[in-house]
Amino acid sequence: MAQWQEVQSLANTYQEQVHQLYAGSALPMAVRQCLAAWIEDQNWRQAAEPLSSGHARMLFHSLLVLLGECLGSLGSGHEEFMLKHNLRKAQRDLQAEFEKQPEGFANLVANLLQEERRILRLGQAGGQGGSAPVASPAPESGREQQIQRRLAEFHTALQEAERAFRHLEDLQDAFDFCYKVHYQPAEGRSNDPGYIQELQTLQAKLQNLDRQRREVLAQMQQLLGRSETLQELLREELGGWRVRQQRLCLGGPGDTNLRPLETWFTELGQGLFQLRQLLRALNDLRQKVTYERDPLVAETPLLEQRLQEQLTHLLKSAFVVEQQPSTPNPGKRPLVLRTASKFSTRARLLVRLHDRNHHMEARIHIDRDPPNIKGFRKFNILTSSSKTLLAGDSPQEGLVCEFQYLTLKEQKDSRAGKGKGTSGEGPLVVTEELHLITFTLAYAYCGLELELETTTLPFVIISNNNQFSSAWASILWFNMLSSDPKAQQFFSSPPPAPWPQLAEVLSWQFQSVAERGLSRDNLLMLAEKLLGSKPSLDSTVPWPKFSKDGPAGFSFWAWLDGILGLLQEHLKQLWKDELILGFVSRKQEKKLLKSKRTGTFLLRFSESVLGGVTFTWVEHHEGGSPTFHAVDPYTASELVSLALPDIIRDYQMMVEENIPENPLKYLYPNTARDEAFGPYYSQRQEGTLNENQKYLNRRLIRVSSRQPSKWQTEEELVVATENLETLQLQPRGQGTQQAGGLPLSQPQSSGTPQGTPGNVGTPHGVATSPGTLQGVATRPGTLQVASGSLGTPQGVATRPGTFQVASGSLGTPQGVASRLGIAQVTATSPGTLQVIPGSLGTPQVTATIPGTLQVTPGSLGTPQVTATSPGTLQPTGLGMLQPQPQSLEPAQVGSGVPNIQGTLHGPPGAVGTVQVLPGGLGMLQVGSGDLGTLLGEQGTVAVGTGTLQPVPGAVEPPQVPEEQGTLPPELELLPGSQDVQELLQGLESGSGTLEMLEVAELMPNMVEPLGENFQLSAGSAALLDRHDPFLPLPEDSALPAVPSLFTDLPPLQIDASDFQ
Amino acid sequence: IFLMGQVSGRQERSKKPEVALSETMEAEIEVQNNKKEIEEVKAKNPKLTSVFGVADLKNEAVGLYNLGQTCCLNSLLQVFFMNIRFTGILRRITVPSSAAQKRSNVPYQMLLLLEKMQCGKCKAVCPRDLAYCLSEHRVKLFVQYDAAQLFLTLWNLLKKQIRKPELVEELSDLYTICIQEHLACQKCSFEIKSNSTMLTLPLPVLDANSHRLSTLEDCLQYFFLPEELTGQNMCFCQQCGKKTTFLQSMRLVHLPQTLTLHLKRFCFERSSRTHKLGHFLQFPQELNFREVLTEDQCQADDSEKATWQYELFAVVAHSGSTGFGHYCAYIRSLTECKWYCFNDSEVCQVSWDDVKCTYGRSSLNWRETAYLLFYMKKHPQQPCPGVSECL
Repeated sequence: MAQWQEVQSLANTYQEQVHQLYAGSALPMAVRQCLAAWIEDQNWRQAAEPLSSGHARMLFHSLLVLLGECLGSLGSGHEEFMLKHNLRKAQRDLQAEFEKQPEGFANLVANLLQEERRILRLGQAGGQGGSAPVASPAPESGREQQIQRRLAEFHTALQEAERAFRHLEDLQDAFDFCYKVHYQPAEGRSNDPGYIQELQTLQAKLQNLDRQRREVLAQMQQLLGRSETLQELLREELGGWRVRQQRLCLGGPGDTNLRPLETWFTELGQGLFQLRQLLRALNDLRQKVTYERDPLVAETPLLEQRLQEQLTHLLKSAFVVEQQPSTPNPGKRPLVLRTASKFSTRARLLVRLHDRNHHMEARIHIDRDPPNIKGFRKFNILTSSSKTLLAGDSPQEGLVCEFQYLTLKEQKDSRAGKGKGTSGEGPLVVTEELHLITFTLAYAYCGLELELETTTLPFVIISNNNQFSSAWASILWFNMLSSDPKAQQFFSSPPPAPWPQLAEVLSWQFQSVAERGLSRDNLLMLAEKLLGSKPSLDSTVPWPKFSKDGPAGFSFWAWLDGILGLLQEHLKQLWKDELILGFVSRKQEKKLLKSKRTGTFLLRFSESVLGGVTFTWVEHHEGGSPTFHAVDPYTASELVSLALPDIIRDYQMMVEENIPENPLKYLYPNTARDEAFGPYYSQRQEGTLNENQKYLNRRLIRVSSRQPSKWQTEEELVVATENLETLQLQPRGQGTQQAGGLPLSQPQSSGTPQGTPGNVGTPHGVATSPGTLQGVATRPGTLQVASGSLGTPQGVATRPGTFQVASGSLGTPQGVASRLGIAQVTATSPGTLQVIPGSLGTPQVTATIPGTLQVTPGSLGTPQVTATSPGTLQPTGLGMLQPQPQSLEPAQVGSGVPNIQGTLHGPPGAVGTVQVLPGGLGMLQVGSGDLGTLLGEQGTVAVGTGTLQPVPGAVEPPQVPEEQGTLPPELELLPGSQDVQELLQGLESGSGTLEMLEVAELMPNMVEPLGENFQLSAGSAALLDRHDPFLPLPEDSALPAVPSLFTDLPPLQIDASDFQ
Repeated sequence: IFLMGQVSGRQERSKKPEVALSETMEAEIEVQNNKKEIEEVKAKNPKLTSVFGVADLKNEAVGLYNLGQTCCLNSLLQVFFMNIRFTGILRRITVPSSAAQKRSNVPYQMLLLLEKMQCGKCKAVCPRDLAYCLSEHRVKLFVQYDAAQLFLTLWNLLKKQIRKPELVEELSDLYTICIQEHLACQKCSFEIKSNSTMLTLPLPVLDANSHRLSTLEDCLQYFFLPEELTGQNMCFCQQCGKKTTFLQSMRLVHLPQTLTLHLKRFCFERSSRTHKLGHFLQFPQELNFREVLTEDQCQADDSEKATWQYELFAVVAHSGSTGFGHYCAYIRSLTECKWYCFNDSEVCQVSWDDVKCTYGRSSLNWRETAYLLFYMKKHPQQPCPGVSECL
């Protein structure tokens, strides 16, 4: 902006100074105003020099002429009348005063301008308040202002240098002319006084020229010095941007807009290129005229070097990766790429200067300088690796090269040979292997040619989505701790992370997934979990502790990422709205709840289950200390069918009086449940039963049975048939019939599990929708039988000692057990219990964890029971297992008896008997049936005899859900049909068979360990993790350390099946 | 265009006082300042006393035209002239009587130049007369000089040619550093102590293992680190009667008002070519020697040490390579407390950010890097008459 304009926009106090400056000045302000631009464009200081009197005179007369023109152009309006008068007077006065000494006038103007600049500086530096409103919409930081001010100053100084250069050109032309005309050395002329005088003039002109040259050079030195500072400031800003980009990659906050940087880099680049032009022009002048000790000869090479270095440095630092490589993924996590899936990345040259006629090509390379790590995988970039730098049609877009739809493919001839196996051989696992993409750009502009390059942040290449989580952990660790973006060997010896830094990054993860970070208390709990103690400022977390498997069977990060996944999928809103307290240690939890009234609950994440959330509530007893109850954690597999707010709303506790109640009354600290969660309840379908409706409404609710002296609460999934507003758990005649034999099991009293068979041979179980059947067993000793008609039945058991039977008719039944001591049996078609379906498909029962049981059918009609790992189960064991003949099909019986102690098993034996023996830890069962019977029972306790024997029924479907042996007296069977007698008979005969099978031999061995093991199995989680905060601690005195065998009853199983 | 690092010492730790290195200039200051030339003041110029005491830098800072290779001289002159304590001395000098004496008297020519700068309305003046005067004292025109070397030369010329003994003393007080050198035989208890004075502390920027030092404090600490003289460097011990291992150490006795630090940003290669060390080396705006040095690196009482608090006053920076470069000066005006950058005739106001830019950067060889640092005491210890009057 022109100086005079800036002066006018100063704050009042500074304007006052300007007024004072002109008050006593021989140059009236009116003249300054009228000829502002022209005055500022002249080199008055130069003209004021005594040797350049011609210059000053020329300027003075030009000013008078211009003033005259100005007067002539003024109209005759009233307001201009005064101005005209003033200008005319000024013209006269000036002429009178300075006609004889134009140098004085030049000096006067130069001083005035200088003083104006001084006031301007003061005003712009100090005049924050009240200063002229600068047209900058967004408030800028001091740093930005400083850069902008410096850029403006740089350009002003550059203009001055250019002006000085033009003056130098004039001087040189004048000297050159005079020299050619007057310098004629010849004999005898040296005495000619006229010639001598001319020579002296020439000498003076040369002096003047020399000084002007030096002045221009000094100006350029100064300019280079200032641009060094500017570059330093820009470098810092760019560094800040890089840090912000890195943080943003990690989910942190920050603005990564490159626009201001691009503007600044471009302006500075422009200035430097201008300076380069100027320097070339100076060299041209030197070509024309040079002399001894010509400063141009001595100094321009230095200036050229400095300038070249600066330009190179500026351009090199201006080439940045604007968008780091990323593939689209739900977590918005960049820098994790998967082979064969597409990704994109973009680089930008912040100096927006280019020659439109010259196409610049950008290329990308992956791992151009691969680190020397054994087994380091090599990749190729499929698709094109070069691209023309696009300027875009509008200058706004800048110089960008964007690579989209890139894919990576591993080189087959990677160092270690076969590509597939390499990952395990090197010292680095795949997810710790860091790769880089390098961009190169052949830059050319105004004769300057440079090879620019920039690299992405290191990224991890995975080949399977299940590596994603740990790959992301690597990215977090690297970007949190590494200052060198090229340190591909980072994970050869990863440094530990300072806790405060790690805490911040972890909080970002929650912030980016669910829009709320971690609170101080949350972080404190995490720190104690990671560090084992209260964190201090210099606590550090080693990488293995963070990412490698911990005692619970999974790493800290896997656990946390499980929670993140759960939040993202199911609990985003609850977390965001701070309804989930989340990370609370058990101790802290008790402390919080202790002082609250009964029914106060809080939501927290499970520490023993990957991606699990649970609630804990407090109960106060008269005279006793409060007890705390926590429900088995819900994971995504449950929440997918039932949202957590609904679970909370409908959560039921079975109490002795047989009145189900919801113990969750107040969300901690003191918000009524419905008030807190009301907005999140799903729309309840009011079940008005009309004739058009074929079915009753139903919804899934969660109930738990109260287990005295147990801290944990058992819980199952129930289908509740919702008729009216009240939820009915009782099987209703009408309902069951209408539902086609939908039975409901109902617990009668605390600790008394009962299975209620439905009508005609209906199996228990849960059918979530017609055709598909899913059963989920969640607690030790519980039993679930699920059956469906058409779809693929599937059973999932998740806890020790659970049991599952899934049956289906046509599909491939499959059972999956995932925990210690789980037995699984699969049955197919309705009414027929087949432990192993043998018909056409290949049924499979798979157990995946040590101690689980696997039942695999072999060929047609040949059942096989296989168990893996400790506690293996063999078909050739003690004859506990027997296949049962079915009416039509070849008998298939698979039975699982998880046996921790030893092996236990019978091969398919004779016809018509099936036997299942509960083994070691007292879990177990098997059901057998015939037409329409399905049988299952949990064999919590099988001491001594401990066997369960199903009885094959011939025509009528018998039901033998059974506890055998020392059946607890509380256990009652509620016959749902008339088959009770048979059932009972079956039991008796079963026990007879048992003896024949010589189980007794096994049993004595079992007794000893049983007592011990039982403690474990009673509190299921104890088997998994003794440190689970859900578990009672010794000080929870209300809980017996060793629950009695008979009082500690297995949980209740309520099953319902809906099949048509 | 000026050389740097030509004469002023080698990168190997040479702990001899800087003055000993300026022998090529034949301008020495007396070690142990015993002999003081006392000359009678012959003439006085009453006019000058009236000027005396006026704060310098009345208007804006004024530039000095480059006469050809004089950027080094210009930078140093600006550092002298911007130091009001120095100009306070300069303004009281005796004016030489004869024209020839006037022409060849360095202090007088400097004073004339200062007056020219302050009285003129020009943005820059020409130091021609001073340059000619200096050329009479073997400081040739159109020759490249090292700033540290030229500083010593100038200072010694000033000291020599100022006739008034009290002014000479003031000048010494203003600039000289007193240290005590210790040589202790490691075999017996024999100890040699000697006091010496220095004008600058020549600070190495690399340590013994050629690792780059990255802060001024590190350089100072390394400079004062005791060194064991073994092998070829062993000294003769009078008590032991043979050459023994000695421990050489230096202790700081006194620090002057204006402290000059010389960063030896150059090193000699085998090819005998020097090259510049442009790496990052940070220096503070405020420097407290008590925090930098340990107790046994000082030989001073508490009242002396209390005054060892400094503020950065000026930086003479060099851009380019050792044989080919340019000097400029960043100076903080003591009256306005603003930074200025002096590039010959071009002067502009700058900020601390610009000064910080002279920390250096390895990747940028042609960039301005600090070479001489001038620190000013925050609280003058004993108000010497000249200074107090000046203020």
